Amino acid sequence: MSAYSNRRYDPVTILFAAWFWLVLAFLFAPLVVVVVFSFNDSEISMLPFKGFTLRWYEQMFANDDLRTSLVNSLIVSGFTVVISTSLGVSAAYGIHRYASGMRTILNSAAIMPIMVPRLILGIALLTFFNLFQAHLSLATVVFGHVVFTLPYVVLIVSARLVGFNPALEEAARDLGAGTFTVFWRIVLPLLRPAIVGGALLSFTLSFDEVVVTFFTTGTDNTLPMMIWSMLRFGITPEINAVATFTILISGLAAVTAELMIRRSQKAGAG
Amino acid sequence: MERRPILSALGFLALPNAWLIAFFVLPMATMVLYSFWQVIDYNIVAEFTFRNYQRLTQDLYVTVFWRTMKISIYVTVISLLIGYPVAYYLARHVKRFRLTLLMLIILPLWTSYLVRTYAWMLLLGTNGVINKALLAVGIVDEPVSWLLYSDFAVTVALVHIYMPFLILPLYAVLEKLDASLFEASRDLGGGRLRTFLYVTLPLSLPGVVTGCIFVFIPAMGSFVTPELLGGTRSILIGSIIAQQFGVTYDYPFGSAIALFVMAIILAFAAVALRYGRPRGLR
Repeated sequence: MSAYSNRRYDPVTILFAAWFWLVLAFLFAPLVVVVVFSFNDSEISMLPFKGFTLRWYEQMFANDDLRTSLVNSLIVSGFTVVISTSLGVSAAYGIHRYASGMRTILNSAAIMPIMVPRLILGIALLTFFNLFQAHLSLATVVFGHVVFTLPYVVLIVSARLVGFNPALEEAARDLGAGTFTVFWRIVLPLLRPAIVGGALLSFTLSFDEVVVTFFTTGTDNTLPMMIWSMLRFGITPEINAVATFTILISGLAAVTAELMIRRSQKAGAG
Repeated sequence: MERRPILSALGFLALPNAWLIAFFVLPMATMVLYSFWQVIDYNIVAEFTFRNYQRLTQDLYVTVFWRTMKISIYVTVISLLIGYPVAYYLARHVKRFRLTLLMLIILPLWTSYLVRTYAWMLLLGTNGVINKALLAVGIVDEPVSWLLYSDFAVTVALVHIYMPFLILPLYAVLEKLDASLFEASRDLGGGRLRTFLYVTLPLSLPGVVTGCIFVFIPAMGSFVTPELLGGTRSILIGSIIAQQFGVTYDYPFGSAIALFVMAIILAFAAVALRYGRPRGLR
């Protein structure tokens, strides 16, 4: 290790570090600009900064259409989270417990939906609903959202199951517990961090989704759909406030999820 | 052991499978079906035709296809050039706070791609942040007009949106590489550059391939970003597909374009996976 341990002040390492922080700045700067402009006391989203205001947030909260769309978004992501988390946990455990020989194949099959661009998933669902003349509503939106969130739950929960000690399940079974008792009383509690992580990720992905929603919704708008249609009429400072609001929500969910997933991986390794 | 493992297995796997079949496999199959149907008098009619695929060869669509391919390849290559050093740094140079730094890199992934696209409108516009800064510093005398509504805008934003997808698998591969390999190479007189070219790079190829696939696929199918940042100068195939479902109500033609894009994506993934293995480990 000697050649690799004492390289902290090595010029190459410093160059790499500089590059890393530069890239990080590139990733965050655009988001920071949106947040800053959401407090800018000016009708146009332009430099220079004209002073601090909260009026774009006041305007946002006073906007009935935005409130309705927020409620719709929460309904959609709420149902999506519940369905994709239950199905995802069930699938991951089923693969792990009963089909471990085919795990690689089944896991790759399970992630197929995220290898298809959202646009193509959206129009595929639209043609499908069109074929059966299905009524488009928030329900059809949820049907689609579950498809692209489910694979993430399967991936996260599967990763946790890899480090799972089978002796725990066997012990419970020897003591007379049936399959579903073992699942409910032993497996689920141990999987909790991974499940919470997967659920929060599903929430974020669903809450922010615009393309699949665009093609599968009827007359109801979700929050990203509102942003999308507002943008088509031109940039208003109110959009900055709405965008900042969604950054805050997904940021909170992301950080919590990330910490939960990390904890679950740590526990799985131990 | 359990008495009826098959029943239990069904209990766990039946519902998730049913959902994916109903709302993923069947919709994709419907799209294949539609792509061979036609529109007669504004109605979609179940009459077999190849016409939708023949239309793909028209100049307009060929041009847009090439632009989409070109931009997706640019986005993938630029993401690789920017992302590789980041993944390498995290995996091989950082000891403390490694996971926290990695989390910072993937944090933006979890914010809405719509909002991130919008952010670039604020940055790149004629009166945007970047133009104001360039004017203030005196690098340019008048606002640069090609920043927004151009291939440039679409490329920059797509790199911004999808690059973390590339860093993640690349980091995972680089982090698992055995440090003794590098020591061996250095002990045998290989300098940093040679060690990188002959040891690190070939061994990290699986991560490079996965990462490139993760960027190329969403770039090929992107719709929101080119729609908002491309303007009329940089129309990508995603917008053309979406048009068939919104404006022109030509689902069959839209399905045919989408399937062609899927074919390109699958071909790209197949080639990348076939040739992206480290030499000697085939």
